[in-house]
Formats: sequence, structure tokens, C-alpha cells
Amino acid sequence: MLFSHHSPAATSQLLAPSRRTLLLPLPCPRAGATSAAAPAPAAEAALLPGGLRAESLPRHVAVVMDGNSRWARARGLPSAAGHEAGRRALEEVVRLSRAWGVRALTAFAFSHENWSRPKVEVEFLMGQFERAIRESVAEFLREGIRLRVIGDSSRLPVSLQKTAREAEEATQSNSQLDLTLAISYSGRRDIVQACRNLAQKVHDKLLKPEDIDESLFADELETSHANELPDYPDLLIRTSGELRLSNFLLWQSAYAELFFTDTLWPDFGEADYFEALVSFQSRDRRFGVRKL
Amino acid sequence: MPSIRGNVRVAFEFSLPSVCGNVRVAFEFTLGPLRLQEAFVASEASVFMNQPPPHMSRPSIIIKLILGLLWTITHLAISFLNLWSHLIYSLECYLISSGLLRKYQNLHLGRLKCLAIVVDSKEAKSTVKVKQLLCWLSSMGVKYVCLYDIEGVLKRSFEPAVNVSRDRTAGEHFGIGANIKDLHRSQREMVIDCLSGSDGKEGIAKAASLLCSTYFNGDTHGDGKRKPAFTEADMASALKAVGCGGPEPDLLLMYGPARCHLGFPAWRLRYTEITYMGPLKSMKYGAIVKALYNFSKKHQNYVLQIRYTN
Repeated sequence: MLFSHHSPAATSQLLAPSRRTLLLPLPCPRAGATSAAAPAPAAEAALLPGGLRAESLPRHVAVVMDGNSRWARARGLPSAAGHEAGRRALEEVVRLSRAWGVRALTAFAFSHENWSRPKVEVEFLMGQFERAIRESVAEFLREGIRLRVIGDSSRLPVSLQKTAREAEEATQSNSQLDLTLAISYSGRRDIVQACRNLAQKVHDKLLKPEDIDESLFADELETSHANELPDYPDLLIRTSGELRLSNFLLWQSAYAELFFTDTLWPDFGEADYFEALVSFQSRDRRFGVRKL
Repeated sequence: MPSIRGNVRVAFEFSLPSVCGNVRVAFEFTLGPLRLQEAFVASEASVFMNQPPPHMSRPSIIIKLILGLLWTITHLAISFLNLWSHLIYSLECYLISSGLLRKYQNLHLGRLKCLAIVVDSKEAKSTVKVKQLLCWLSSMGVKYVCLYDIEGVLKRSFEPAVNVSRDRTAGEHFGIGANIKDLHRSQREMVIDCLSGSDGKEGIAKAASLLCSTYFNGDTHGDGKRKPAFTEADMASALKAVGCGGPEPDLLLMYGPARCHLGFPAWRLRYTEITYMGPLKSMKYGAIVKALYNFSKKHQNYVLQIRYTN
């Protein structure tokens, strides 16, 4: 049995628990550490809610943020309100990921197929992405979060492209959490652009067509990291009850634990995230020595 | 002298067997304000007086008993709830199998053009179970099944037989006992496609290699000075050319300890509905019927609401 309380510790004589005693504060205080040093493992474990084991947390979590419009419709609000609430939910998930020691978070913000939505809604979303990125850079720098934006940037407004590029440059040396926003992203297009990159390398005589294998191909995907962080998600969460990948991380999700929840994205909070992580930890994930 | 006041949060975890494998349950609750000052003081007083402290003072014993009792009650309650849900699930599967639940009797599988089954490679070695599964699917009217496991166990076990039996009913070839009569009666045929990891990521890499070779041999594009403008259609054609084409499954059922698609051909997974079924050894006919029924309902809703997602 694990005990925690908010006042100074009692002597261990009094409460001799039969199992390990862990004193935990309420989970997820804002991590005010500088971006320079990684928090010590003991400090990270201390921020975990009871029931989560630091050593078996997913290193990379992906989220399909579905349900904003349904959330707004259910409340008689315009879809813009749903997207704003969705933004706040993402901020909370980023904060929790940072606090609980998840190293990489990839969020599916806008799919390539979403361009067919009403123009007004698309313009609102592009504006929201730009505002959110611009307003979050200071927070990212404080929290050591590195931002990347993947997807077909050619269709994004020029101002959003510029804002994203500047935010990426400003945060590139951060190392506490790798946050990837997939905007105008498509799993199939990702595969095709990897193919194009390889073709360019063949053209530049850097490799031959017959040299192309899984590993070389994977390095050309948009999600490929230059650092040691895992490219592939260990856990993929989709909200709002849909049971599909919807063209998200088709290659990369081979070994991702798929967690589908009926909760709409704006309502996805700490309890839901905790449930997803507990579900991940409960699985018998034995994949042998096969290369991922 | 410090005192212990305020709320005490108690958290514990344990594993419970469930229909989908072991489930780790983490449980937390907050007790009301506890005053442990007296116990603390008693202990400190003993030390101060240079006497050995009592092994356990009365209030601490009571607290320990209460907390132990609460833990036991909560553990029992959660075990009971888990057992109850397992019983309900098993009962529902039994009722579905026996045909007592009317709504599951007539499955409308018109939109299920292709069903994919992903099996963990270790569990795929249980060919009897896989044969049973195929027989069930055939009896339900499924027309096209993609069988997949990453290491190719199913391919080695079933593909030679599938190639021979393309013109026969699946049940006749696989020699399943009691269901054969039903299958003969219904004259159903089911196409079975066996896939492995070589059809997944390896297949995409081969297709990329083919596209690059073809491009720089000048067969499809001009001078090769510009970056090749491969399209999704080009990739689809290349996949077909290397033997890794095929339909996109409408529904994918996952069997195994982990809820992963284990590298099922990525190109074909775009809008596939995915359902986790648990370990293959505990597969149930009723559970499959339910999954197909839910798909048929949901697919209709998806088609109707396609413009309103998210």
C-alpha cells in the first residue's frame, strides 16, 4: 500500500506499510526547471501519480485529437469554441507529458483530408495554430520543449509557415520533451515524400535503388529524429470513439499500443491520460528482437 | 513538534485477469483528515524517556487495521466488478452464439468487402484456433479475409493450402468438423490472403526501390534533373508491381497480448476500423459476431456523418 500526504512526513515506525511507501505530491505541478539539465530520475518518479511506473512509461505518445466539433455541437456552441477547448486540452496533455517524463509527443492537429472542410473553419484553424505556436514559444523555452511541425507545409498560409519555422529554430536545442505537431499531414503522403527523398539521393549518387531497405526508408519519413528519441510512438491515443488511424502515422504505428476512448478531445484530461498510460503498462508487450 | 494532519491519499495497484489479458488496476482515494499527532507524540515521548518505544501504539494499530480493511474491501470490490464484467461479457457471447439475441441474428455485411485478421506470431502457431476462426468467419458470410502475422507463420501454415483450395469452400479444405455441413449447405466461398512483414514495410521499401529504378531508367519521367514528383498513385502501382498490392480492409481484428497492428501493410490501413479481440486462445464466436455487428452499424454512421467528424 502506498501512502501520500501533504504535510511533513511521519516517522516510518508509525505506519510500517507492508509495501513500498512513496510520498507523492499532487501530480503535475508546473515544472519550472530550466531547459538545460534533465530532471533526475528520482524527481521525475516523484511527479508520477500512484499506479504509474516510471520505467515502463511510453517514451513516445501520439494523439489523434478528435471530437472538437462534436463537443461544441453538444453544447450548442460554434465549432471555433470546440477548437479552442481542444487547444487547452492539448496544452494540458503537453504539461502532463512533460511532468510525467514522456519524452516525445506527436499530436495530429490537421489532416491533409481536412482541407476539404468549410473554408471559414479551415481559416480559423490556421489562425489558431499560428496564435498557439507564437504564444507558446516562451513556455516551450521555459519548459525545455522542442517544437517540430510536420506535414505538407506548402498549403499552409505563409505567416503560419514563418511562425512555425521560427518556433522550431528557437526551440531546437531543448531536450525535455519533443513536441511534434502534424498539420496538413497524411501518412500516405509521408511515405511518398520519403520515396521522393530517396529518389533525390539516388539522383545525387548517394545510394543505388537496390540499396533501399526498411531502415533507409524510415530515415526519410517526416517523423525521423536526428537525436536518440524514438521515432515511433509506443502509445497512440484516439479520442471521440472512432477506431481508425485516419491516415496518421501508418508506417510508424506498427508497434504502438492503440488506445481508443469515447471521450471527446476537449474533455480529455489528466484522468483520461492516466487511464491510457495505465492501460499501456498493463499490456504484455513482447516483440522479440524484431527490428521496428 | 510536527504533527500529521490534513488529508491522506492512499494509492495501490494490483493485477487482475480480464477478458483481454492481465489488467493492472491502480486505485487512489483520499481519506478524511487524520490526526496522528497522538501516536507521534507517544513514540517521541518514549524515545525521550530513553525507553524502548512500544512496538505499536494503539492508535497506529487501529489505523493500520482500518486501512488494511479498506484495502481488502476495495480489492474485493474491484475483483468482483472485474469478475462481473467478465461474466456479463461471457454471457453476452454465449447468448449471441446461441442466437437468442435477435439483433445479432442477421448480420448485414454488404459493406464489409475485406476483413483483416492480425495475429501475434506466437499465437499464430496455434493453427487449430486459426482454422476455427476462419470457419466461423466463413459461416458468417465474410467474403475476403487478409490473414497477417509479422513473422509469416500464417503464410507458411496456410498459404499452400489456400492456393490449392481457391475454388472450394474454406471449410471443406480446412476440414473443420461439424461446421462443414453448414458450409456445404450455404455454398459460401471465402478468399483468404496470407500476409506477413515482407508485405508491409519491406514491401514499401521494394516499391520505393522500383520507383527509383524506373525513374532513373527514364521509363516514366523526363530528364531526371528535377526531384521526381511521385504521387500516391505511383506508389500504389509500384506496390502492386512488387506483389504487395491489395484491397484496404474495412475492418481489422487484432488477436494477441498487445493492442497493435504489428506492421500490417501500412499503405492499406488508412481508414480501416480496428478492433482488439484479446488473446487468440480465448476467442469467442459471439465476440466476433458482435464486432462485425458494431462495424455494420458504425460504418453506416460513418458514411452518413463523413463531413461532420471532428
